Amino acid sequence: MRLARAGLLLLVLAAWQLAALAGLPDYVLSPAEILRDFATALGTAELYQHIGASLARSLPGFALGSLAGAMLGLAAGVAPRFDRMLSPAVFLSYPVPKIVMLPIFMLWFGIGDLSKILIIALACFYPVFINAYTGAKRTRTILVWSALNMGAGRARVFGSVVLPSAAPMIFAGMRVSLALSFVVMFAAEMINARSGLGYLIRVAENSLRFDLMWVSLLSIAILGYAGDRLLRWSRGRLLAWQEEPA
Amino acid sequence: MRFVFVAAALAAWEAAAHSGLWSPLLFPSLEAIAWELGRLLASGDFLLEAWVTLERALGGFALAAAFGVTLGVLMGRSSFVAALLDPLFSGTYAVPKLALFPIFVFVFGIGSLSKIALVFLECLYPIVIMTWHGARDVNRALLWAAQGMGASRAAILRRVVLPATAPFIFAGFRVAVPVAMIVVVITEMVSSADGLGYRVIYSLSSLKTDRMLAVVVVIAALGWLLDRAVVLLRDRLIYWEKLDTYYV
Repeated sequence: MRLARAGLLLLVLAAWQLAALAGLPDYVLSPAEILRDFATALGTAELYQHIGASLARSLPGFALGSLAGAMLGLAAGVAPRFDRMLSPAVFLSYPVPKIVMLPIFMLWFGIGDLSKILIIALACFYPVFINAYTGAKRTRTILVWSALNMGAGRARVFGSVVLPSAAPMIFAGMRVSLALSFVVMFAAEMINARSGLGYLIRVAENSLRFDLMWVSLLSIAILGYAGDRLLRWSRGRLLAWQEEPA
Repeated sequence: MRFVFVAAALAAWEAAAHSGLWSPLLFPSLEAIAWELGRLLASGDFLLEAWVTLERALGGFALAAAFGVTLGVLMGRSSFVAALLDPLFSGTYAVPKLALFPIFVFVFGIGSLSKIALVFLECLYPIVIMTWHGARDVNRALLWAAQGMGASRAAILRRVVLPATAPFIFAGFRVAVPVAMIVVVITEMVSSADGLGYRVIYSLSSLKTDRMLAVVVVIAALGWLLDRAVVLLRDRLIYWEKLDTYYV
């Protein structure tokens, strides 16, 4: 099976390379060319500056949005009165594309990084909130009763029962949010920025630098993939007792 | 009681708009936004513009639904297909497909096609993954029973696998519909000469904040209505089971 997979990947790459040799349009580079350009770009400081600028926007936004989402979601999950006040507003605004708020955020918080960080945080808030909320609600009643019966206080029940049983759901939400944070970061940078990978790809597009376009694409792909792996790895460390939901 | 937060936010907005602390450019009052909204909805041009956006979102979504359900069922019912395609989907899941947009513009042109292609690609993931999980976990006793009673493979697929997978398919649709709206609006904001996303950027550039927020309200309403439509369809079609999760 592994052989079939590796074979398929090699086949696609080989077909791509051959097609490029046979003559593809200018904007499709061959895998070998992309690798070469990427290696060249890795040797320059410019690429790292753009990656740094992008991460400086997406990571704080992700952290802020996830933290707010987890805290409010857990609170709404355990406190029915708070739930009745907050949840309708959240579920009402859930299907709304948050990126349309970027222009108004730019007016309020300036054109710099703050508006971008806040729009990323807003987008990341929803998946984590909904998952933390569902996770807290799904805590098995019998576990809560047992803890109460054994004399645990409310704080203890929250910390030792509700939180651990909601944690896998929270992680699942964070996984969605992390992917989303890169999408929103990229979109915000394509719309308006002076640095970052989204900016780089726009500049490359406008000046027909197809090599830079693919370098930027490959960088964001690697970042997204690495971030996801890192999150899954830390999930395995923190929640070792729990099987990952498929 | 239910909409306390919504009402409080609107009241705070209106107070900020009338306090005189900020320019009306930053906080246009609700009546100004409502006025612009009325003007937009009364003009045929704008409705056409909204239709362009909706058409792109629904076109990409429909393609993703057709391909995604087929792929997902294949992956769920054949371990060979699953092993072949799983690395592809799980490996590129966290990669922002939006980065491909500039290349799509060169390949498919700057019109609707490049946007529909990107919507298709982004919507494909949730639909494939949810359908796959649903089709994989079909109750084996049901399959055996159908086989034992002599049902053909096609009959089993249609009468057992699809109904058992349907709740998961709709869960995937519910994730994919907002994604479709997000992607369309982003691509229209980035490069377009029509559609609602373009109107947001255009109104901002002409410093008509009230008009921009009116367009935002329309986009929000469209996103909400599409989600309701999926829920309505689901409740009509699948009355026997409910999955209330948004995510895998």
